[in-house]
Amino acid sequence: MDYKQKSHLHPDLLNPAAANLNPDKLLGRWINTNWETRGIAECIVAREGDDITVSIIGVGEDGPIHWPKALATPLANLEEEAGQRTPAATATFDLGFMRADTHLRINKGVFVIVLFATFLDDSGRANYLNREFFYRHS
Amino acid sequence: MSNIQFAQLSDQVECDPITNIDPKSLLGHWINSNPDTISIARINITEANGKLQLQVFAVGPDGPIDWGTATAEVFAGNPASSTGAGFMCTYDFGFAEARFQAMIMKGLLVLAQFHTFKDDSNRASYFMREYYAMTHEHF
Repeated sequence: MDYKQKSHLHPDLLNPAAANLNPDKLLGRWINTNWETRGIAECIVAREGDDITVSIIGVGEDGPIHWPKALATPLANLEEEAGQRTPAATATFDLGFMRADTHLRINKGVFVIVLFATFLDDSGRANYLNREFFYRHS
Repeated sequence: MSNIQFAQLSDQVECDPITNIDPKSLLGHWINSNPDTISIARINITEANGKLQLQVFAVGPDGPIDWGTATAEVFAGNPASSTGAGFMCTYDFGFAEARFQAMIMKGLLVLAQFHTFKDDSNRASYFMREYYAMTHEHF
């Protein structure tokens, strides 16, 4: 097999159960831990047939802003700090004037969204990144 | 406030147009904090012709593997900032693709890697997240 680093040869990559590819732990409604956020208020990760979808609601001036739903790409997790092997996913949102590349993961029960925003308009704003934390809505 | 479009309040800023995000905080030699990593050992980040350039050295079964250089896109910490806080970058190896999303946190470079295989090996796409410290000679 071709490789570019040792992890490309990790045997668990041929055994999705061992690599924790199952994205079910990501499913649910996640609420921002920071009620004063100016970013993402909540995120819903759902299974729709064979797909995993991500819906994001941003904080707006006059109420919530529903982003267009995006397909998630579930990813196995070989290892992280402290032996964590929680599933992760990426999702890209096309908002027309802006593209948001995100990755989603769970760290010790906290859902984390890391967002890289690229502006596609001519507003002069800087492309930027942000990270926010979410708890599971029960 | 003008009628600029936004998807969250934090996007709604008015500022002088930002034509360049300063990558200074990202430039240098970064080394993995985990000596037992099975992934990327070192990353050299430079600026060339106004572009951020990465050179990655990964850990292979028989020694280090130089991935060569790739151009990265710099991101600020907010839409009104011109200070680099992270980057995105893609290495395409033909048989596989490695995408990076990286950010500076508390002086460390936190690198999230997303690996997708394009060959017929049936290997699962996977994620890794590791920490890198900038090497220096101050102590």
